[in-house]
Amino acid sequence: MSGKEVSAIQAQENREVNWDDYLQAYYEKPTSFRTWSGYETKELYTPKDRAGENYDENIGDAGQYPFTRGIHRNMFRGRYWTRREVVGLGSPADTHERAAYCFKNGGTGLNTIADVTYEMGLDPDHPWAQHEVGLTGVNIAHIKDMETLIGDIPLDKVSWSLITASTAAAATMAQYVAVARNKGYDISRLRGSVQNDPIHFRYCGFRPACPLDLSIKLGSDVMEFCTREMPKWYYTTVNMYDLREQGITAPQEIAYGLGIAGCYIDELIRRGLDIDAFAPRFTFYVSCHIDILEEIAKIRAARRMWAKLMKEKYGAKDPRSMQFRFAVHTAGCSLVPQQPLNNLVRIAYEALAAVLAGVQSLHCCSYDEPMCLPTEKGHLQALRTQQIIAYETGVTNVADPLGGSYYIESLTDKMEEEAIKFMKEVEDVGGMEEAIRTEWLDRRFEQEAVKRQKELDQTEKLVVGVNIFTDEPEKTTPLGVQRISNLSTKAQIEGVRKLKMSRDMNKLREAINKLREDAAEGRNTIPAMIEATQALATTSELLGTVREVYGYSYDPMNIVESPFK
Amino acid sequence: MGRSHKVSPDDLAAGLLKGDRRAAARMITLVEDQDERANEMMKLVFPHTGRSMIIGITGAGGSGKSTLIDHLIGRFRGMDKKVGVVAVDPSSPFSGGALLGDRVRFQSHSLDEGVYIRSMGARGYLGGLARATTDVVRIMEAMGNEVIIIETLGAGQDEIDVIHVAQTCLLVLTPGMGDDIQAMKAGIMEIADIIVLNKFDLDGATQCLRSLETVIHTGMSEDKGWTPRVVPTIACAAKSSDVQGVDELVQNIMDHQAYLHRSKKIEEVRFKRIEQELGLVFKDEVEKVVFAGLKGTGKKRQYIESIRAGKNDPYSVVEEVLATFLKEEILE
Amino acid sequence: MAKKKIKVIISKVGLDGHDRGAKVVASLLREAGMEVVYLGMYQTPQSIVKAAVEEDADVIGVSYLSGEHLVFTPLIVEEMKKHGLDDVLLVAGGSFPPEDIPAMKDMGIDEVFRGGSLTGDIVKYIEMQAGGQED
Repeated sequence: MSGKEVSAIQAQENREVNWDDYLQAYYEKPTSFRTWSGYETKELYTPKDRAGENYDENIGDAGQYPFTRGIHRNMFRGRYWTRREVVGLGSPADTHERAAYCFKNGGTGLNTIADVTYEMGLDPDHPWAQHEVGLTGVNIAHIKDMETLIGDIPLDKVSWSLITASTAAAATMAQYVAVARNKGYDISRLRGSVQNDPIHFRYCGFRPACPLDLSIKLGSDVMEFCTREMPKWYYTTVNMYDLREQGITAPQEIAYGLGIAGCYIDELIRRGLDIDAFAPRFTFYVSCHIDILEEIAKIRAARRMWAKLMKEKYGAKDPRSMQFRFAVHTAGCSLVPQQPLNNLVRIAYEALAAVLAGVQSLHCCSYDEPMCLPTEKGHLQALRTQQIIAYETGVTNVADPLGGSYYIESLTDKMEEEAIKFMKEVEDVGGMEEAIRTEWLDRRFEQEAVKRQKELDQTEKLVVGVNIFTDEPEKTTPLGVQRISNLSTKAQIEGVRKLKMSRDMNKLREAINKLREDAAEGRNTIPAMIEATQALATTSELLGTVREVYGYSYDPMNIVESPFK
Repeated sequence: MGRSHKVSPDDLAAGLLKGDRRAAARMITLVEDQDERANEMMKLVFPHTGRSMIIGITGAGGSGKSTLIDHLIGRFRGMDKKVGVVAVDPSSPFSGGALLGDRVRFQSHSLDEGVYIRSMGARGYLGGLARATTDVVRIMEAMGNEVIIIETLGAGQDEIDVIHVAQTCLLVLTPGMGDDIQAMKAGIMEIADIIVLNKFDLDGATQCLRSLETVIHTGMSEDKGWTPRVVPTIACAAKSSDVQGVDELVQNIMDHQAYLHRSKKIEEVRFKRIEQELGLVFKDEVEKVVFAGLKGTGKKRQYIESIRAGKNDPYSVVEEVLATFLKEEILE
Repeated sequence: MAKKKIKVIISKVGLDGHDRGAKVVASLLREAGMEVVYLGMYQTPQSIVKAAVEEDADVIGVSYLSGEHLVFTPLIVEEMKKHGLDDVLLVAGGSFPPEDIPAMKDMGIDEVFRGGSLTGDIVKYIEMQAGGQED
């Protein structure tokens, strides 16, 4: 009998346990021995599986090329990973408050995320924005919003991850730098990151805001600017996590993520930057899904592949260029709304996988991810999950503790092998840009997503609460529901309207003209965006101006006209 | 729940003629489902048809025809013409269900009241796809659409028949896919009035254009008054300024329409359309009427069993059934 | 007479870009024999209802994954009423807290299918509610 049948029977005969089934349950064994991504495993791995292993060449110590075992020799003995919970809701003030709350409760890195309207490059007063401001993150429309978000936080004493992925990342960078300079900070000493991966973001919606050429242009502008002016800043976090959320497998995640990274790297090299000048600050966002051993192997493979790619294809000489620096976001798509407290357990295992894999910065989902934004309590639990791993489990004692396991090394090889196959497939259709342009990648994501659902429907994959051990649907969310205040939304909309009516339009026009010129001449647009931000330009004005130069409509939604005509 | 069709054919027809979209939609459903009220309804609708420009557009999946149609709709709307679109998509061969995704490409018209779009799965229509589409086009005409665009894949015989409803037929090809040769085999080249070479920015486009022009000039078209034209286009571009060839395409369509009217060929086209329609309706109705007598008697099953057992053949069965039917009719 | 096909519109609404579930449901309803018109992203209540009218849909399925479910549902229902689509089934999928489900149903949603729903349950529900009834 399948787990589903057993649980259905159990549900029916709830008050009467059927002891006749006891022995059957006692002797139950798994029906599948495949990894989550579908690869067969043997029942035991032995030294024979590693015969002919060349440790120094293929694996290496932690901190040594090809960095399979970790990018630092002492890993967590040198520094814990950053506990960096993603925060974003309502107004900049709301988000600031929650970010401070996380820090107060043991978070060690700031992490704020843009809402859908900001990622689209829309100001809160845009007709398409009005219903959705602040629902999934924060909208920063102008310099005052960024000032409010930052508040009293000392920028030279923190590490701040700004999650804007789309072309709007350029605006975010401009806004952050503008405020930092106003406050007298030397931006070359600031620590943090900006996600800035508009190419991948077309798979999360946002296509009107992220045409391919503009994505490469603005993404690379941010990367170039930070490389020159902000040596402690990570100017991109190429987001494989979101790709994995589409339903693809572990090796596909690496393959397509590295493919997208290649698009930016090639552009930066085309602009004349030396690989070692920028690669050390190139970072990745990686998923950790529920098959924890496969995820660890996947990440070890990614490290090895990145190292080889940097050294062999791009000729990097600096070992720091060859280090795969990554943050983990535990897999949102592994969580389900059914029996939500189970998600705490899933998240814990996934976070453990991340740490065992040698992560640099970790976001644990809040258990209520499949239902709503995290409440304070949800965020707290996520932090505690990280802290228990850090302080109680002992896994931080040793770098790459699973290294040398016959299974893990074999699985690492397998992940690399499969990822390379997927990368070759992309090469065969004409390369990553072509695969994106022709929607080949869209079709691949759609196929994989359908496969994952069929696996659940046909109980090939088992998920507790979904197709085994199901219960009556719950009616409440255990730790409450986070609501976004209407007042916050209204205040955001009012705020930007007021600002637009009270600006020095001459000063602004001058700054916008400079931005337009720089974009037209192919220069880096960030300095002009910073100036324009100082002159109180809004997000949509910054981005719309560059859009027009590139032949696109001012407004991604094609409604609002440029006020600077 | 669902499509409740308690409304009478008269009411639906009256609504349709006033331009009521819901009435039109329901009529189309009745026709698709071969509802028994459908014919009554079509009688009321028919007198108000026959004046629209009907354009057929066929092309393989991925040729960009939907995006092209999106542009065409825009141009015709710019001429203040109401446009009806019948988007025929393929069905999954295994379950008969259809994922009708063409509307995704028509986003710029998603709120335009002057555009009516209906998706049709090429499902097992009892009378065939051509019969259903024929009626649907009539309904769209009666609704007041001055331009009707029929979009098909051109993959099967059914879909080729659909194109016969149209006055101006467009075939959309793309460079280097070898489908120019395939299309010739499928017989579609013979009915194309305009061949659109889309994705003209791809490698091999110019060579493809030349070879198509050569093929056309070897005179495979029976109509000596109109030589099929080849129009290069780039329908899908991230920027609207990079879209090319649409104005030329519209001009060519209007040229063909002008030719049809000037040369009176339009009458021949209309004649053929009605001839086809008559044939389709005839086939359906005769089949229904003749088999009506067999209904519920189990005779049809018996016939089939006897053929299977080798005791009979389809030709003799049909002769026998017809003879009985005619005898009964005469006796009446 | 041909068995009546169930016609389903699947749509996102507003800016939300999480379309994995909508596409999967659209594909699998198709495999189950329904005619599915997939509208995609950036739809408004008006464009969804216009499509539902023109396609004579039996079912509208809307996908919410950005907390917008309470904002857009009343607008969609209002638009449906305006165009006389009271007899069209309205279902919603995606991410929302269970606390909001009664409110969504009060607003006019007939049934919800959140993440973790199995295809069979969705198909069964739609077939039962909207399937081949003849007058």
